[in-house]
Amino acid sequence: MEIIGYGLMLGLGFIGPGIGIGLIGSSYFNAVGRNPESSKFFGQAIVFVAFIELFGLLAFASTFIIS
Amino acid sequence: MFSLFAASGGDGPAIHVAPAEVFNIGGISITNSMFYGWIVSLVLIIAFIAIAKRVTILPKGGVVQFVEAGTSFITGVIENAFDDPKKGRRYIPYFVTLFFFILLSNWLGLLPGVGEAFTVSENPLFRPFTADLNGTLAAGIITMLVVYSASIRELGGVRKYIRHFFIGNPLNPLYLIIGLLEMFTDLTRVLSLSLRLFLNVAIGEVVIAVFTYLGGSLAPVAALPFVLLELFVGFLQAYIFVMLSVMYLAIAVNHAHDEHDAPEVDPLTEITVPEKMELQTR
Repeated sequence: MEIIGYGLMLGLGFIGPGIGIGLIGSSYFNAVGRNPESSKFFGQAIVFVAFIELFGLLAFASTFIIS
Repeated sequence: MFSLFAASGGDGPAIHVAPAEVFNIGGISITNSMFYGWIVSLVLIIAFIAIAKRVTILPKGGVVQFVEAGTSFITGVIENAFDDPKKGRRYIPYFVTLFFFILLSNWLGLLPGVGEAFTVSENPLFRPFTADLNGTLAAGIITMLVVYSASIRELGGVRKYIRHFFIGNPLNPLYLIIGLLEMFTDLTRVLSLSLRLFLNVAIGEVVIAVFTYLGGSLAPVAALPFVLLELFVGFLQAYIFVMLSVMYLAIAVNHAHDEHDAPEVDPLTEITVPEKMELQTR
């Protein structure tokens, strides 16, 4: 039962960041496809990936708290 | 050899989310992350005093050039964030120090020997300072105190500082609620800053420990990609911490700058309409 709980928690918790990072990547490549000069914003895209990572890490860290 | 990375080699990966006490000086417990934070500060102070004497106009290479590059990088971040770059110059020393401290804590935490290699009464002696929520919370609180006091000074008084949360007349219930929400958002920044840094570094340590354990006799090979990833994440988190706090400061300071220039227009009665609407036709 506990293992099912861990699995659900990690799986559901990683859905959100996964979708978010996918959206960032898709909009970045859309922008680059329309205007190749905008490839200079890759660093800022990575910064936003790091913001979103926090929520996945929160879900991962909660598995240590719940016992 | 394998215990040099974070693994214990025992019956499971060594995972510590909380710091452990290693010394006890006069009833005050010194945890391993505090101890490592002192080491990092000492290294930072000694190295930077030595480097500051060697800075020349023509770059000579080596560590000096690395520090120069980092300093000019953070200087660029600050000068881009402020409308008036001269206003931001005052805050460069604090943010550059913060950047290098977090960067050095993250990177020195990845050294072999940090973790289970040296133990004091079953507790690891070294633990990266940023992999401890107390440490990152202290960094977040001090940074936000600097941001608050600096923005109060730039805006000229506490009353004007509180006023800058409200976009219109505070007696208007809509603006009142929006303003209160803005103030609450401002308070949560301490938590979001410190939790982001702590979780990224601590989970990185956990991931390295897990893969060292899974790797068995090939532990260094299994853990190497994650150590390299953590090198990148450590730099990224130091940059994000500094960039976000500079942004928080710049929002308040730029706001003060705007109020002097903008004509006073009641947002409820006078809505500025663009003079000429151009319809795009294809």
